Amino acid sequence: MEESPLHPFELHNYIPINLFGLDISINKAVIMMWVVVGLTAFLLVKAGASRRMVPTKLQSLAELFVGFIRDIILDTMGKDGMRFFPFIATLFVFILFCNILGLIPGTYTVTSQIVVTAAFALFVYSMSIALGFVLHGVKFLGILVPPGTPGWLLPLMMPIELVSQLARPLSLAVRLFANMTAGHTILGVLFGLTITGGLLIGWLPFAFTVAMNVLEVGIAFIQAYIFTILTCVYLGDAFHLHGAEGHAH
Amino acid sequence: MPPSNDPFYAGLGQAVRIGTELLAALIVGGGLGWAADTYLFASGPWGMVIGLVVGVTAGIRNAMRAAQRWDKSG
Repeated sequence: MEESPLHPFELHNYIPINLFGLDISINKAVIMMWVVVGLTAFLLVKAGASRRMVPTKLQSLAELFVGFIRDIILDTMGKDGMRFFPFIATLFVFILFCNILGLIPGTYTVTSQIVVTAAFALFVYSMSIALGFVLHGVKFLGILVPPGTPGWLLPLMMPIELVSQLARPLSLAVRLFANMTAGHTILGVLFGLTITGGLLIGWLPFAFTVAMNVLEVGIAFIQAYIFTILTCVYLGDAFHLHGAEGHAH
Repeated sequence: MPPSNDPFYAGLGQAVRIGTELLAALIVGGGLGWAADTYLFASGPWGMVIGLVVGVTAGIRNAMRAAQRWDKSG
């Protein structure tokens, strides 16, 4: 069986739709996103429906999620950040479910497409910039000048800070995309080895496939967590300008 | 659900984060320099050279910031 390990990432249009020159065809990734949205909405609505004093299993899991995200926000942004709770919780749950559901064989990992992660990253970043300018006006440009910089260093520090700012959306997008793609490629290669190896030696890569799968579940969680925490950090920078260092734990 | 406070996974997350931080700034710096060379000034390789140096510096700065952040949280 000679198949490229990158083959699972290819997308084929099931229903080609072309709207005013815009390609909005339905493919596997789109269907997976619908599944994720439907599943998360169903689970969370069901979890929140009963509101018992003694929570059901689903409800206590949802409460765990809410508490977890609230802690991230309070740690990085402080109390002001709770305004963004719905957005950040949605982002976290969506990315987490995309990552984890993509591990089921036969499904598709939506976050292994850089279009998706880049859209998230650019949205988050432009939101933090817009928020900064709304809250602080022109003074927000001061984010390019780290506190305590002597005047003669400014021509050097400004370009460095500018580049390090512009690197934020890129690193946010590439991190999630690369981790997901790399993990699935490794799984593909290992499982390919299992099949070509046969019974005699094939059990070895198979054991590694199982071990990698466990690791990938961890990675799926970590990547969703990192994406969320960085979103909070960037939004927090916009909130507090240079006070951020004090707040950012 | 893998707990985020498991030291193995937490450490893994931080390690992965810093690597990307370095790379992203390098790409942005080099890219800006290259764009300035090609579309703005036709200034030979110098824009990209300076851009790469600035990119490396910014990358190290970003990595340093990330490291400081998780040092505090412990």
